[in-house]
Amino acid sequence: MRIHTLAATTLLTLTISTTAWAHAFLDHAEPRVGSSTQTAPKEVVLFYSQNLEPAFSTIEVSDANGARVDQGKPKISASTMRIGVKPLPPGTYRVRWQVLSVDTHTTEGSFTFHVGP
Amino acid sequence: MSRHLLHTLALAGLTSAIFTSDAFAHCFVGARFLPATLITDDPCVADEMSLPTVAWSKTADVPPASQLNLGFDFSKRITENFGVTVSQGWSSIRQADGTLSQGFGNFETTFQYQILKDREHELAILSGLIVDWGHTGSTGSGFATDFSLVTPTVYFGKGFGDLPSSFGGLRAFAVTGQVGYQIPTNSFDFTQNVFIPQQLVYGASLQYSMPYLKSEIVDLGLPEFINHLIPVVEASLTTPVANNFGNPYTTTGTVNPGVIWVGSYFQVGLEAMIPINRQSGTGVGVIGQLHLYLDDMFPSTLGQPLFGGTSSTRKLTF
Repeated sequence: MRIHTLAATTLLTLTISTTAWAHAFLDHAEPRVGSSTQTAPKEVVLFYSQNLEPAFSTIEVSDANGARVDQGKPKISASTMRIGVKPLPPGTYRVRWQVLSVDTHTTEGSFTFHVGP
Repeated sequence: MSRHLLHTLALAGLTSAIFTSDAFAHCFVGARFLPATLITDDPCVADEMSLPTVAWSKTADVPPASQLNLGFDFSKRITENFGVTVSQGWSSIRQADGTLSQGFGNFETTFQYQILKDREHELAILSGLIVDWGHTGSTGSGFATDFSLVTPTVYFGKGFGDLPSSFGGLRAFAVTGQVGYQIPTNSFDFTQNVFIPQQLVYGASLQYSMPYLKSEIVDLGLPEFINHLIPVVEASLTTPVANNFGNPYTTTGTVNPGVIWVGSYFQVGLEAMIPINRQSGTGVGVIGQLHLYLDDMFPSTLGQPLFGGTSSTRKLTF
């Protein structure tokens, strides 16, 4: 009985202590990762699996020549990070991001999206 | 704002930055996450635990016996780049005539040092020393030896995300592997009257990361369960190379196709175990593992290195 109680308590403790923190993975993005869109987006929005620390999270968007096309500062709210972009002519754009989740784990990544036919 | 308050805030910010671990524990290399594979090790020091690893197979005996293995591993970072793993296994073998023998293998410790993590090229290299301590298991029932085994080992992992974009979905592939040279502390087993060979112990995995495909290459809008899968093929092999007088230099091992489901706090892996030859076993076995990411479960306590776990936050630059 004591063993069962101990096991249940341990499991409960693990469950409670693991409900909120982990590495922040990119869940999805707008524009979607690897997508092609006819209409140029006015911003890039990234949705993560965990809440972010704004001071240590950043994003940049660049064109095929490596020139930055983002404008303004990233706006971070809970698990979402967004940044405005300049008017985008047809072409392929790369989004690079690096974030710190609220439990101090850093993750990073990059992807492209295409504007135009 | 008073000067005292400014100083306090500055100190708090500095403290926060200092106490924010870089924390790539479990195996992140740049955008690549390399999961803990089941029969080979991933190329990173980490705070993690496998509890349990369960394997069932049939031995190479004629007629074959059924073998059940239960394993436990606990890995702890001592510093940011140096970690120790303790492992213990228990086995049960039931012969065809119903005879049952059970016991613990020798206690094992693995000391590992992270040599390289190249984020841009998704490359990780790790050095290790595996020590299987003699006379710490069930030597009487044959599941453990009364001599130790020392195995200097090199581990590597490489993701292919740095290939040109034209490679498309192929960039989600990664390989990991390890090569070790196993040296017994005794050269001759007087109880069985045989030489104890030195062996090359090596293995590799080829894996395809659906999480990487979704977040780095193309989001296909697949079901969430699929997006957490990493199909994998592993191989673990052993070849006697020295002090093997009178015995064949036969390579033994298994090739394991399977899949690993990766969550935020744990992963679950399941693989078939296919012997590469008659000396490696009979028929297809199976191995499963529940693996816990302690750095995510307990990020401020158990998931931190014992020393120097407070490395300053890496400046966020691309």
